Amino acid sequence: MRLEVLALALIVGACNWAFRYVPTRANLHELPSGSPVTRFLAATGPAAIGTLFVASALPLVNDRSGPATLTLGTGVGAVLLIYAATRSVAVATLAGALAYGGAFWLVAA
Amino acid sequence: MAESGFQSSVSSDPRAGTFLDGLWASLPIALGYVPIAFAFGVAARGVGLTLAEAVALSVILYSGGAQFVALALIASGAPFLVSAFTLIAMGLRHLLYGPALMRRAGPAASRRHAWAWAWGLTDEVFGTALGALARGRRFSEPFMFGLGLGAYLAWGAGTAMGAYAGSGALAAWPAVEAGLGFMLPALFLALLLSVLSRAQLPVLAVAAVATVAVTLAWSGTAGLLAGMIAGAVAGVLNRKGVRDAP
Repeated sequence: MRLEVLALALIVGACNWAFRYVPTRANLHELPSGSPVTRFLAATGPAAIGTLFVASALPLVNDRSGPATLTLGTGVGAVLLIYAATRSVAVATLAGALAYGGAFWLVAA
Repeated sequence: MAESGFQSSVSSDPRAGTFLDGLWASLPIALGYVPIAFAFGVAARGVGLTLAEAVALSVILYSGGAQFVALALIASGAPFLVSAFTLIAMGLRHLLYGPALMRRAGPAASRRHAWAWAWGLTDEVFGTALGALARGRRFSEPFMFGLGLGAYLAWGAGTAMGAYAGSGALAAWPAVEAGLGFMLPALFLALLLSVLSRAQLPVLAVAAVATVAVTLAWSGTAGLLAGMIAGAVAGVLNRKGVRDAP
């Protein structure tokens, strides 16, 4: 194994660990409810999940190599439908991927 | 010693997730991680890394986006320090996750072993943990260990399989490849539904617009950071909106 690859992994990995761990030690529970910091932290979760959904779906929307609209619509529709029926994140996720792959297969066939 | 601490925190509250609950909750993440890690393994071999180097990047660096950028930097012969600083900057968004998660977990939440489970606090693990808390699950460290371990093993195994198989391994099954490629967007959408409320719609709208705008104008990494910060700032400005419960 090349030393430069190992060193790069170790340095960046150590920083990633610090970014993930150190902020968990912050004592934030004495902050007054409704303060700007409290509202910022409360909004961070939904904002992060929304951002990650948009960022992960964007390449699929921009994909000009396949039937993006139909497959994406089928996958998103399946997630919405199955989540409404089951309230299960795992089942809705798997159903969405199955529907997306199935729509892709049907259109490509 | 660690195990006795875990047991006491679990048995005292039936809503606190166990290690196996966390492992089960990691299933959608794992199914989404394997094909992406597989693609990383294939790409790593493509730029000349050995199987051991590809797996080392995944298990030591453990950050999908940064790993793909690392390949590009290594392949282009970028200077070591430039590569390191670029990849470190890509991880800055993780600074937001710990405080948001622990704030939602409540003041009684144990952080005794956070030094270990926080290693696995990726985007997907953070989102899944927050979604579980929003659905009434009590925070527990065993749950976080199970959740993180399932995702971590899937990432490492996917990388090893990809690096071993080489290019074109899924070429014969494009529909399977497409379905697996939709796994993470599907997971994030399901998580979004699990934490969604009317009060958070402005936050989500601002986050989405900022993500798209900055991604198209600059880069995907900048788009991620911009979306999260813009959405959180929208939550600060929206005094009637977001409170502690997501």
